[in-house]
Amino acid sequence: MKTDLAIIGQGAVTPAGVGLDALLRGNPVETMVPLVSRPDRQWPVYKINLKDPALERWQKEPRLRRASPITYFLVEAAEQALAGLDASARAQTGLVVAFSTGCLAYSRRFFESIVTQGQKSASPALFPETVFNSPVSHVAATLRLEGAAYALAGDETAWIAALRTAWLWLEQGRCKQVLVMGAEEFDSASLDAYQNAGWLRQREAAQRFVPSEGAAGVLVRKAGPEDSMVLSQIEDGFIYRSKPQALAAGRRCLAEFEAKSSCFLSAQHQWLKDVEQSLARDRQTQESAIYLGEASTASAAWNTLRAFSLLDSENGPMLFPVWGSTHQIGAVALEKKKQFSN
Amino acid sequence: MKREVVITGMGAVTPLGENVSDTWKALIAGKDAEAPLELFDTKGCRCHRAATATLPALPGLRAKELQRLSRASRLAIPAVREALAMAGLLDSAGRSLVPVLPFSVSTTAGGMGFGEAFLRDILVHKRSRLLGPVARYLPEQQVLDVQVALGFEGPSLIVANACASGANAIGHAAEMVSAGMADCVLTGGFEALTELVFVGFDCLQATTTERCRPFDLKRSGLLLGEGAAFFVVETPENAKRRGVQPICRLSGYGHRTDFFHLTQPQPQGQVLVDVMREAAKSAGVSSSEIGYVNAHGTATPVNDGAEAQSYRTFFENSLDQTRISSTKAAIGHTLGAAGAVEALFAIQALITGELPPQLNLQSPIPEIASVLVKENEAPRTLRHAMSVNLGFGGSNAALIFSRNEN
Repeated sequence: MKTDLAIIGQGAVTPAGVGLDALLRGNPVETMVPLVSRPDRQWPVYKINLKDPALERWQKEPRLRRASPITYFLVEAAEQALAGLDASARAQTGLVVAFSTGCLAYSRRFFESIVTQGQKSASPALFPETVFNSPVSHVAATLRLEGAAYALAGDETAWIAALRTAWLWLEQGRCKQVLVMGAEEFDSASLDAYQNAGWLRQREAAQRFVPSEGAAGVLVRKAGPEDSMVLSQIEDGFIYRSKPQALAAGRRCLAEFEAKSSCFLSAQHQWLKDVEQSLARDRQTQESAIYLGEASTASAAWNTLRAFSLLDSENGPMLFPVWGSTHQIGAVALEKKKQFSN
Repeated sequence: MKREVVITGMGAVTPLGENVSDTWKALIAGKDAEAPLELFDTKGCRCHRAATATLPALPGLRAKELQRLSRASRLAIPAVREALAMAGLLDSAGRSLVPVLPFSVSTTAGGMGFGEAFLRDILVHKRSRLLGPVARYLPEQQVLDVQVALGFEGPSLIVANACASGANAIGHAAEMVSAGMADCVLTGGFEALTELVFVGFDCLQATTTERCRPFDLKRSGLLLGEGAAFFVVETPENAKRRGVQPICRLSGYGHRTDFFHLTQPQPQGQVLVDVMREAAKSAGVSSSEIGYVNAHGTATPVNDGAEAQSYRTFFENSLDQTRISSTKAAIGHTLGAAGAVEALFAIQALITGELPPQLNLQSPIPEIASVLVKENEAPRTLRHAMSVNLGFGGSNAALIFSRNEN
């Protein structure tokens, strides 16, 4: 699907710090975390410092006092992306947020209390914060975004579904601009999941899968002549159930894009890295020098911004494939257009 | 581009039946599916009853394949199959005739039952055979199960806007078709009862220990349920190419977020009024033309009062020309599937003229007492019907369905 989505705002919260500079140049620090099922076994994780003043300020907001960490990641990244947008513009702004596991920390805490202390101990303060769209509601209410609002679920490719949704809303005239976000929070239960999936086998740091957390967002509108960063094509929905099927799905997906486009690599630490290497072989490739870990939809959002940072207006479009780790493959084409002055 | 959108296929699995026809007959007959909940232990809960669906057989799947499916997938697959068959999109082997079919779907908990099993095991330090449950609990796995079982792929969107998700997923599908982004979209929602969610509503004291009484002064909470409903939405031209007659038009959609509170609507229901006005405007109808509303009507003290107030404001002087009922007393609150299952009931009312009665009424709340559907009401001729949903986080959505007069 050809699109003409201009990026007019960006925001990021990463384990390397808060803001775009941290996203592009920061270095995250590993924390060793034990598995829930095997407390004797630890694995490195990139976690966000909730005491960062940029995140602490949101924890004092009355509506957000009981919110889960993912809400703080989201609201801070959203505020960065919305910088300069006044109240009347915010009132015409839609919000679509992609999640994979969503409010995992509170969901785990809520269910663990049921299992270990019985159903009577279930916390009415926790339960509403386990719902996928609670963080979306918090962001919309706190930043007064009065346009449409969706929480979307899925693997990494939910980020692409969110971009597609933004395009639809702009085409339909539902909003003047849309804030598209991806966010995840880490919980040690996910380490057990990755362990069971066989994703924690690689010990060598250069290729190791490191679970992570955070958020990022882009504020988009229909592109005008003054806009330079443009998402010009979105393709998704190529499903798979095995690695050979993923290779075939990726081939079908990438065939939808210009063969000359360079390709941004992002699967170097994931189970689909062979698929990426095989399919990107005939293209010029680029990658980020810094690894921020794996945070599903948040990683997809981070990588979109990092891919843009590597583009210049002299080159053609760059292809950014999103290797959904459990369902499907999708990709977007990014262009940096020359700006013309009158 | 704004194109007309029609519905050509519907399918459902609900606590009242394994398909649309059985569900509708039971609903119109005034039956309800409330029963003791046996899917998991509830001994620490206040409430012990729910509306549970019987899982339909899935012919063609081997026992091992069935075992891999979450309860949510077991609900979704037969409902999708029924919808695709009605729309003439299945071949003789029960596979999709179109290899690429965009999918807009809703849920709140996905295959959470598998997630619960995984968490239980790791908390007791069990180390083996855990991959199956954890790999299949996330919502995209139920979407993948449906796609693989029916043989199609294509862009999918999983809306998780709490209890308004189903209406959002359907409205989104309609907008995709209307905007020319797709000619045909499969849409709907599914939800399976799970312990985490059941205990969650129980600890909020949102579930009732008595009868579920939507829009009654003595209402004391909701009845949880489960189910799935799916639709094929497309352009009339696309349907005509296959020789398929549209069931109705999907003419209006509105949605917005209420900022008042995470779990409570604004007391005057103003956001819902705005949402219904948006849906009516996009359908090109006035409130007086809407003959039936399938209300959200959870039977919680806070929701129903605000919702009733918003109907008074929206319909103004024409309130007495419409009929309203909440079907949650019959099938329970199906959460992420509610917007889809209840849209089905609004469509069935539109095309049959039969109206689902408001069950368990003793003392109807005065704001809308005169328009709540009574048992055994005579059928009416409807031109437009509306389905309304609200959810945690302030999600509000309304869909309007109109008689296909072409």
